[in-house]
Amino acid sequence: MTVAADRLDITFAALADPTRRAIVARLARGDATVNELAAPFAMTLPGISKHLKVLERSGLITRSRHAQFRPCHLERAALEVAASWIEENKKIWTERFDKLDEHLRDIQATTNAASTKGESADD
Amino acid sequence: MTDHAQAADELVYTRVFAAPRELVFRCMIEPEHLTHFWGPSGVSTPLETIAVDARPGGAFETVMVNDADGSRYPTRAIFIEVTEPERLVWQEPDNGVVTTSTFRDLGGTRTELTIHQANVPAAFRSPEARAGFSTSLDRFAAYVAKLA
Repeated sequence: MTVAADRLDITFAALADPTRRAIVARLARGDATVNELAAPFAMTLPGISKHLKVLERSGLITRSRHAQFRPCHLERAALEVAASWIEENKKIWTERFDKLDEHLRDIQATTNAASTKGESADD
Repeated sequence: MTDHAQAADELVYTRVFAAPRELVFRCMIEPEHLTHFWGPSGVSTPLETIAVDARPGGAFETVMVNDADGSRYPTRAIFIEVTEPERLVWQEPDNGVVTTSTFRDLGGTRTELTIHQANVPAAFRSPEARAGFSTSLDRFAAYVAKLA
């Protein structure tokens, strides 16, 4: 488990929407203003702003406080957190399998010791 | 253990266990079994934190506790399919990941368990996202190559 598990859920939720993924993909090519981001979408500025707020809360993007048009900026580190989820996930399942293997040996050894019939297939 | 990624948004892990299929299946849905293996190394899943309602729409909840510092990581999924002793499908509402467990009877009390995870992660799914995420994607491609 990573300490950023909660943050990761927010990141994934933010990226679950196709419009927000497209916005993130656009920002990967460089900073852009709300107007620039809205252009390719059949969406109103308030509609785009709503998506930007979700992305901002997730930490995936930041917006300049000072520049006149408040350009949006992609925070690549937040994306890398999502990438590391995969690595973490593989580790969890590998270790889970190892422990399950051990557990199955333990309980079958116990069952076999208690009864020569072994683990029953039915409940 | 063999594992490989089938597509950029899917992860597959397979392991053969020396146990009958019914038993391996029960291990995945009964708290008394789950508590022994659900937490990876260094992480416990106390029995009292595990709740499994193994039917479609039922919840699958655990709390993994870090042995070193006591941090708690609650997990929550909802069962989509429960077909004993062959298949379990659940989805984590928080991140959309769908996990399918398939239990294959290999005979001679050997069981192959395959964990297939789809919708992982959303960031890598769309072509436009792939084009944009060059840095992350390179890392991802390297990772997938390592798995293959």
